[in-house]
This record gives sequence, C-alpha cells and structure tokens, in this order.
Amino acid sequence: MMSAPQSQSIDAGGWQRGGAMAVRRRLVERFVSLLCNVATVVVLFLLFSILWTLVTQGAGGLTLPTFVHSTASPGSGGGLANAIIGSCEQTGLAALIGTPLGMMAGIYLSEFGQDGRIVMLVRFVSDMLLSVPSILVGLFIYLIIVEPAGHFSGMAGTLALAVLFIPIVVRTTEDMLRLVPRAMREAAYALGAPGWRVILSVCLRSARGGIMTGILLALARISGETAPLLFTSLGNLNWSTNLNEPMASLPVTIYQYAGSAYDDWVQMAWTGALLITVAVLATNILARWWLTRNGSAQ
Amino acid sequence: MNKPIMDDTTGHDTSALALAIRNLDFWYGSNHALKDISLDFPARQVTGMIGPSGCGKSTLLRILNRMYDLYPGQRATGEVLFDGRNILSPSLDVNVLRSRIGMVFQKPTPFPMSIYDNIAFGVRLHERLSRTDMDQRVEGVLRRVALWNEVKDRLGASAAALSGGQQQRLCIARTIATRPEIILLDEPTSALDPISTARIEELLDELKQEFSIAIVTHNLQQAARCADRVAFFYMGELVEVDTADKMFTAPHAKRTQDYITGRFG
Repeated sequence: MMSAPQSQSIDAGGWQRGGAMAVRRRLVERFVSLLCNVATVVVLFLLFSILWTLVTQGAGGLTLPTFVHSTASPGSGGGLANAIIGSCEQTGLAALIGTPLGMMAGIYLSEFGQDGRIVMLVRFVSDMLLSVPSILVGLFIYLIIVEPAGHFSGMAGTLALAVLFIPIVVRTTEDMLRLVPRAMREAAYALGAPGWRVILSVCLRSARGGIMTGILLALARISGETAPLLFTSLGNLNWSTNLNEPMASLPVTIYQYAGSAYDDWVQMAWTGALLITVAVLATNILARWWLTRNGSAQ
Repeated sequence: MNKPIMDDTTGHDTSALALAIRNLDFWYGSNHALKDISLDFPARQVTGMIGPSGCGKSTLLRILNRMYDLYPGQRATGEVLFDGRNILSPSLDVNVLRSRIGMVFQKPTPFPMSIYDNIAFGVRLHERLSRTDMDQRVEGVLRRVALWNEVKDRLGASAAALSGGQQQRLCIARTIATRPEIILLDEPTSALDPISTARIEELLDELKQEFSIAIVTHNLQQAARCADRVAFFYMGELVEVDTADKMFTAPHAKRTQDYITGRFG
C-alpha cells in the first residue's frame, strides 16, 4: 500500500533527459573512436609493411662478406664495409661536433636570453635551419669547402651532417631547459650558487633526459640523409677512413645501387636500407631503455 | 651576534637584532610594490609576515637574500642592515650573502641528484670539506630535521623519491647545511598535508634556538603558533608589527583586525 506510490516517485523519468540529443551524442562518440582506431591500424600497417619489405628483401644480404668487403663492380661479390664505416665516421663526427655547439647555443637561448634581439635572431636562424631542405645544406658546404679545396671529402660530408644536426639539438636543449621549474633554479641560487653552477649542476641535470632524446633523434635523422652527402663526401668505391678523401656512406650507396640494373647491387641496396633502419631503431630503443632506467632513479 | 643597528621603533632590546630594514621601497618595473618599510628581525626569534595575496610579504622576503637580482626591472631602495652592512649595496657578494641568509620555498624543490648530494651541493659552494667532515655535516643536518632515520640507508638514492614532507625537510636541511644566520621561509607548508605541516612547525620551534627565522604564511593559525612577532602587510605597506599574542588578541589597526577576523583576504 505504501510501496506503490513510493516507487512511482522514484522513477520520475529522469533518465530520459536529453532524448534524441543523448542518442546523437553516443553515436558521435562511437563514430569518432572508430575513426581513431582505423587511423591507428592504417599507420601501423604502413609501418610494418615497410619493415617487412626491408627484412624480406634485405635479410638475404646479411652475410659476413657484406660486412668485411668493400663495394665492388657488379657480379664480383663486394660488400658494404666501406659504406658502413663511412656512415659511422661521418655521423659520429657530426654528432661530436654538433652536440656541444648545439647544446651551448640552446643554453644561451634559454638561460641568457635577456637581450631580446640577438636571441630572436639566433632562434629564427636555428628554426630556419631546422626546416631547410637538406640538399641546400649539401650545396652550401659544396660552395664553401668542396669547391675551394678542389675535391670531395669525408670532412665536408661530416660538416654538412653537423649543420643538420645542430638546430635539432639547439631546439630540444632550449625547450627542455625551459621546462626546468623556476623554483628549482631559485633554490639553487638561494644556496649561493653562481649562475654557471646553477645551469650545469641543476638545470642541465634536470633536463638531461630530454636533451639526450633530442641528440638521439638528431642522430637518427642524419644517419639516413643522402642529399647533403652527394655534393660533399660523394662516395668512394674503396675502403677509406681518411676525412680528406671522398668517403662512402650507406645512404649514398643505397641511392646509387637501388637504381642500377644489376641484381646483386639492388640486393646490396636493400641490405643497406635494412642496416640503417635497424641501427636507428636500436638507437631509439636503447635511448628509451636508458631514459627509463635513469628516469626512475631521478 | 650583532651590535645594535639602530634604535628600535617598537622598543625591544636592540642588542639582539639579526637584521633591520629601514625605509625600504621596492619596484617591479613601475609598480611600487613595497612602500617605506621599516622592520626589525630579532635574533633567534621567528618573525611571521602575514597579509592578503599581493600585499608584498613574499616580495619583502625575496629582498632579504637579493633574490630579486635575478630579474631585470626589479629594484629596491633604502637599507637592509645585516652584520654591519647594507645588503642592498651593489658591491656586496650575493653568493656569500645567500650562504648566510638561506631560503626555503613554497614547493619542495629537491635537485635532480641524490639525497646526499642535495645537501653537499650548497656546502661545496662555500667550503672545502674532507669526505668525513662532509659525511658528518650531512648526517648532522639530516638528524636536525628528523630525516636521518628515514633516509640513512639510501643517501645515494634520488631525492625525488621522497614524500613531499620529507622533501621539504630535506630542503630545510640543505639550507642549514651552509650554516646561515637567518632562514627565510616562503609559505613552506602550503603544499604539504597537515601532519607534515605540524612536523615542519615543530622543527621551526627547534631551529630558532640557533637561527633567526622569517616566515611568510597565509595561514594565520600557523603564524599564531610559530611566530614570536608578527608583521601585517597590506597593499605594499607595513600596517602593524607586534608580538604574536598582541597581534591576534588586540591589534591596533582596524585593517589588521578585519584581516585576522577574516573579513577580507
């Protein structure tokens, strides 16, 4: 007798609020999440199909001669040793030159950025370099180094790669340093630390994870560059570690071999592409592992 | 510790002043943030500074260790007398000043290094200690802030892994490790839970045996609990300064009364 009117007053139809609007909202929700899922699948499919092609086409060339012999004429069974060492030498040196320069410029922009004009100029130039087509960098180095010297050289290639490397490091260093909380800087100053101490011992330490990521990204970027090397280190059919001579590199070798008419050269090109991809992937995975290990200890 | 600096306006013993502010004005650019402030900080006492947001109390604190130097466009005139010198003088070595007048901030700011190095960092800036002396200094200050038992087995671990309250005690330990004479605290417990807050307040009570303390707080109960003397700021002016007892029971100025009874702020 009492329960009937009570249950009536509880079920007052509140859940029907919104009516058609609520139905529409649920439909839109489902549609959008479906779109996102489809997009993810498409992107992953593309990525894995590239990797799969590389592995199936390139894995056949992963033999010992590939790593110990230099490039040779078609049909005579050469390898990629000269290209591998050339790539390692040029990208490694470019990173050695570019890391301190880029970091110092980034520190300048973030920490000493009081004078608006110079900072704006440096930042503008650096950002422009970031988006400049890499072939222009190659041409630039060709004009200022290769032509005056009269010959192509590994050093010219290294410098071209360094020019591409630096702006990435400048940008990440500045961005990461700007993320360091003002309170942390002030706390260091409040202990009587001079500015350089605060930057080195506190700010850079705090930002090291992000800066390291930037350096590795830059390394990955330049290790695949072909265009800037075409006009600078040119390529070399023989084994050479001399920076004063033309130097082979994986990207240039791939570029030359992939379009050739010889099956064994095309095979070498695939193998080279696989090597670069694996190296870049390994660098990234290593970086992540290193960062999480150090990040958790931070 | 200090000789008499000047006649004291509130009539207490002038022989025991840690620091004295005389006719201090401060500008953020063209914004006149502090107006003609004169205030004494008695040695080995806690001086609390209260007032609504934007009244200038934190600004005042940041003048005392020249923190405003970091930002162009901020300037101070007047005198802040400490150990016989005006610390506003451009010729003063601010790094030495900051080792003698330490500061603890609102949010705990552990440096991205180990617990041990967080404390050794400040000490190494000003002193060369042997390994054993440094170990002793670190242990001493950690015991002082009642953190030793909690961290003694993991001095090499990152300071970021500590809880908020532990981090703030570490920051206090770091500050007293350089053996300052004055400690400035800028709302040191506003980011902490009540239990951590209580521990910090106990700690302040203990620390004032040795250090002179200036604390800015939004929490009036905290000022009443911790401070020996309280200064009330409003719109860049020092309205009133008195012992904590008088301030919270019988303030002179109407604005003080309105503020502490919660009518604004």
